[in-house]
Amino acid sequence: MSDDAETIPLGPEPAADAPAVDAPAADASVPEGLIAPAEPASEDARPAGMAAFADTVRADPALFEHAPVEPPFARHVLTSPLHMNVAMESRTNLWTHWNGYTAADILTNIEDEYRALRHAAAISDISPLVKYRISGREALAYLTRLVADNPAGLSVDDAAPVVFCEDRGFVVGDGLLFRLGEEEYRLVTEETHLGWLLDSAIGFAVQVDDVSSTLAGLSLQGPLSARILALAGFADIETLRPYAARWFQVAAMPVYVSRTGSSGDLGYELWVDPEDAQPVWAHLLTHGAPLGLAAGGFALRELARIEAGIARAGRDYLGAFSAVDDDSASTPYELGLAALVDLDHGHFTGRDALRAAKAAPPRHILATLAIDWREPLNFTGIHAGGLVAGIATSTAFSPSLETNLALAMLKPSALAKGAMLHIEAEVRRGFELRRLKVPARIVAGPVLSLPARHLVPAPAGPKP
Amino acid sequence: MLLPDRSFDAIVIGGGHNGLVAAAYLGKAGRRVLLLEASPNLGGPLATAEITPDYRVSTGAHLIDMLPRRVEKDLKLAKHGLRYAARYVPTIALNPTNGHLVLSRRKRDLELLRKKSPRDADAYLAFTKRMRSHAALLSPFLDETPFALGGEGARAAFRKIVWRSQRLNAASREALLHDLPGSIGDLLDDTFETSILKGALALEALLGTVAGPFDAGTVLRSIYRKAQRLAGIGTSMPEGGMGAFIDALAAAAMDMGVAIRTSSPVARILVEDDIAVGVETAAGEIFHAPLVLSSAHPRATMIGLLGANRIDAGLAARLSRASTRGATAKLNLALSGLPTIQGLAPAEYGARLIVAPSLADVQEAYAQSKQGLFASNPVMEVTIPSVADPTLAPPSHHVMSILIQYVPYEAAGGWADSRDRLIDRVIETLSIYAPDLKSRIIAGELLLPADLERKFGLPGGDWHHGELRADQLLMHRPVPALAQYRTPIAGLYLCGAGSHPGGGVTGMAGRLAAKAALAERRRA
Repeated sequence: MSDDAETIPLGPEPAADAPAVDAPAADASVPEGLIAPAEPASEDARPAGMAAFADTVRADPALFEHAPVEPPFARHVLTSPLHMNVAMESRTNLWTHWNGYTAADILTNIEDEYRALRHAAAISDISPLVKYRISGREALAYLTRLVADNPAGLSVDDAAPVVFCEDRGFVVGDGLLFRLGEEEYRLVTEETHLGWLLDSAIGFAVQVDDVSSTLAGLSLQGPLSARILALAGFADIETLRPYAARWFQVAAMPVYVSRTGSSGDLGYELWVDPEDAQPVWAHLLTHGAPLGLAAGGFALRELARIEAGIARAGRDYLGAFSAVDDDSASTPYELGLAALVDLDHGHFTGRDALRAAKAAPPRHILATLAIDWREPLNFTGIHAGGLVAGIATSTAFSPSLETNLALAMLKPSALAKGAMLHIEAEVRRGFELRRLKVPARIVAGPVLSLPARHLVPAPAGPKP
Repeated sequence: MLLPDRSFDAIVIGGGHNGLVAAAYLGKAGRRVLLLEASPNLGGPLATAEITPDYRVSTGAHLIDMLPRRVEKDLKLAKHGLRYAARYVPTIALNPTNGHLVLSRRKRDLELLRKKSPRDADAYLAFTKRMRSHAALLSPFLDETPFALGGEGARAAFRKIVWRSQRLNAASREALLHDLPGSIGDLLDDTFETSILKGALALEALLGTVAGPFDAGTVLRSIYRKAQRLAGIGTSMPEGGMGAFIDALAAAAMDMGVAIRTSSPVARILVEDDIAVGVETAAGEIFHAPLVLSSAHPRATMIGLLGANRIDAGLAARLSRASTRGATAKLNLALSGLPTIQGLAPAEYGARLIVAPSLADVQEAYAQSKQGLFASNPVMEVTIPSVADPTLAPPSHHVMSILIQYVPYEAAGGWADSRDRLIDRVIETLSIYAPDLKSRIIAGELLLPADLERKFGLPGGDWHHGELRADQLLMHRPVPALAQYRTPIAGLYLCGAGSHPGGGVTGMAGRLAAKAALAERRRA
């Protein structure tokens, strides 16, 4: 306790030679003892103003105590480092769970959040994403064998979407791979993959660490996101290319900013130390609020990524180790991720199987559907000519397009020329129920991909 | 050796007996073969080495009991100098109290048992017949490449099992279903009452494993070994020790045109476009061949020599998880004279002597090894090869070769302090039978599981390059994806004990791998 007391500036000396009677005064349970100095004489020795100052800065010594060590896995409800900030923004108290973390579902209402995202910018907490640090002499060789694309072209401070498969070519997961240094990478994924990453490390001089809890993430997406960052002191942010990343120093806090995100629009993700997450969040809101920046929840993230046509692991497809049988697992080709597969860059896990899978007809295909109905619908089955032709894995109502969207796992028959797809939904009006049969159409590519996403320099407005 | 060319039809990595057999068969098929061995001597743990000058003994295994007649004949081993000092070596269970027991179906030997227990004498006949019937069902699978999981081969294999089992009578079928999944300890307890018999049969079933007598699956292992023995030449002791067997194999291989290079460790297998094209030695020499067969441990081959980056992660993980553990140590002693084993007839000194007085002793030794201790009463297989083969020691002097079962890979508190205590314990135990043993010891050497790993590239000290247990046999050996000897790299094959049918001095893995490689070459 005496060590802790010494860290308090201007406090009375917790003298080692103090009489035994005074000892309880230094105890944490009696903080008054510190606030009211035991020896008035020492206070007299200081200027009066200084004494007042000392009283205000002196904090509860309990703050300086070490938190009791929590046994691993003791908690099942995890909170992000930004939990309090997000809670402050909540007007609804609607929460959901994301990778074991408590995450805001809707903070105000989805329309307002959506309007901010598409017309100004939205900030959200993405700390629950899973993050792995991959480092070591053979990190590149390891990743070359892990992911289906060739990671050799990835330069330092660059990121690339990747997909990784198991031996039979089924997708284990997908994510974003950052190269942080010559021999240091970060893999950000939706689901946990530590077992597979460690299995893949056998025979490589590489270290794989789960850094999920020691790295906080903020997502700033929307047309004004570059402008807000520029105002907040991220110098030359507009020069950052899509998928590139850079270190910034903001208010003495190191922030790693990448021009990434799943909104289909201009956007950035900020990776910070958990201790800096709250000030960075506050800093961005302070500078962004006048421009219309609002906080968004998980529902907004889902809506935006469905508009952008991005599948989410565990929701739109099952990883190879989550799938109960082979029919529930998917190859990258079946998920529309063929662009992330390079069969000729050298050996990677699943390559031989994927060579065969590429030639074979897909067993199912993940596609985006538009269901033209001007209010939100609930549906699951996708039908074609009286038969079930697929299943909607994610659905959302796009306010800007005024249509229902779905990511759906379709049977190949659904893609046949002239196949007429429709969904069946029940709509309630008061106590009346109507059965609807609404045509669905397959949308090639993302429904929403805004040009600002690719612009360099990014639209950041006049230099502040 | 002068090598005029650095291009061959095939390269075999490792000059253990499986590597030599594979090379010889390839040579026999007219291929120009190069065999590369890391150490200065061929044979690995199959060698004859001096304990001390003039006293020579088989370093590791000391008997040939499963070498198929077919391999011996195909490679003309007799023509290449293989002589046997003893054939059909009997097995004798040593009894610390009274009356050793010869394990045999011969009438004369059974009378010994009948004196102890008339019931057991009859039971022994029934038991050996039953085990032989089980083994006969398995033995055709030992002579061919295992079927692939999930293919037509699996269906055919099951048909074959069903077809063969249909020829069994109802009692044998019931016995098979009862025995197969169980433990040897329970089966012996069910069958016999004489403890010395149970102890000896248990040790015979378990020698070379890390499994205990009451572990499930040990009956299957026992049947498996029995099936291997069925095809074998009978328990034999080569003249000049196991090294002489290796010399004959090497001579046979060279006669078939195989070039052999020792002291040439392979550093990596060279691959171009997923096709094996040769090897590079640690000295940087490069040899080319469209066929590369490795008799090294599967893990060492696929992850060490080939590289994890060339195979899928699931396969690498599976390989690295395959259990490869050994709990058998070897103690070789040089003796100034034949120790007197009380109650043993002079003609019986050349036998295989089993020191495992009861099942409880075997179980106790196993239990202690689990805790990193060596047994208070070690269970052992002992031979005195110099009885039948006087070339091994000076006149009237002898060598003793002792396989100690259940010696843990890692000793509690480290082996440095325990080595000598283990030797003392073994000699003390043997002194119960041969009180003058201690006074006759001139020199000795102990090979612990860890020494076997270091000296002969046997990870975990496993003589079999991977435990012989139900989930690592047949189509699961070493892992399902590699069970047909071929690998994802075209032209690269596994031909060591890690592959089907596994360890033991059989050469079958080498023979079947060579056959598989030749068949595929022809098709290509």
